[in-house]
Amino acid sequence: MPPLAGQRDADAAATEASLIARAQAGDVSAFERLSSAHADRLFMLLLRLLGDRTEAEDVAQEVMLRAWRGISRFRGNSSYFTWLYRIAVNEANRALEKRGRRPPGRPIGADELQLPGSAADDPSRQAETSELRRALAQALAELPPPLRTAIVLRDVEGLSTQEAAEIAGIGQAAFKSRLHQARLRVRAAIGDEALVTSGG
Amino acid sequence: MPGRSDDHQWSQQHLSHYVEGELRPRARRRLDRHARDCVDCGLGIRAMHALVYAVHGLGGPAGARAPATIFDRVRLAGPGGSPSSQNA
Repeated sequence: MPPLAGQRDADAAATEASLIARAQAGDVSAFERLSSAHADRLFMLLLRLLGDRTEAEDVAQEVMLRAWRGISRFRGNSSYFTWLYRIAVNEANRALEKRGRRPPGRPIGADELQLPGSAADDPSRQAETSELRRALAQALAELPPPLRTAIVLRDVEGLSTQEAAEIAGIGQAAFKSRLHQARLRVRAAIGDEALVTSGG
Repeated sequence: MPGRSDDHQWSQQHLSHYVEGELRPRARRRLDRHARDCVDCGLGIRAMHALVYAVHGLGGPAGARAPATIFDRVRLAGPGGSPSSQNA
C-alpha cells in the first residue's frame, strides 16, 4: 500500500531536515540535492523578475553561492524554500539596481509567456490572448521592481500574502499596498475592455 | 440610500482589495451598491478578476529549466566556501 500523503510530507520534511544538517556541516552534495528541488521554480522567478535569460542564469548562480555560504545561519524559522526565495529576490533587486546604470537587456518576449490553458487552447481567441500576453509582459516589465516583485510573488507564483511578504522582506500591510498598486498600474496599462475581452 | 460623492473614486481605488476579499462587510456593501449603477466600476470588477486570472496563468518562459551551471560557483567554492568551514 502506498504511503498516505501525510506520511509522504513527514518523510519529505525529515529528508529536508537531514539534508540541511549535512549541508550545514559542509556537505556540498547535500546542499545541491536540497536546493535542486527548488532550482527550476527559483530560475523561473528570476526570469520573471529580471526578464532576461542571461542575467537570470548569472543571478541564479549567485543565489546558490550566497545560500551555500549562508546555510549555517539558516535556523529553520521559515521554510528552506522561503529562505532561498528571499535570497533570490534580494539578488534580483541588486541586479536591477546595477542594470539601472546601464542599458536594459532584451525583455522576455510575449510569445515566450504562457497563458492559462483554457484561453490558449481556443483557436478563436489566440489572437486576443497573444495580444494580452504582449501587453501583460510589457506592463509587468515596466513596473518598479518592488511592485513587480509583489505581483509576481502573489499573483504569478500564487504564494500566500504571509509567505510573499516574508520573501519580500516587508510586513503584510506594506506588501498588500504594493500588490494593489501593481494591479492598478497593470490594469491601467492594459485597459478594462481588453482584460475582460481577452482574459475573461 | 443615496451614494456618497466620492464613491466612484473610492471604488476604483479598492477594486483589487474587493477581488482579494479584503474589504470589511460595510466597505464591500458600499462598493457593491455603487457598482450596480456604475458601468465603469462594474466593468472594473470584471477586469480586475480577469487580470488576476491572466497574471496567475503566466507560466513564464515555456519549459524553462534551471541552467545546468546553477551550482558551478558552489562547486568552485567547495566545502571551504561554507561558513562552517571558514570558521573551523
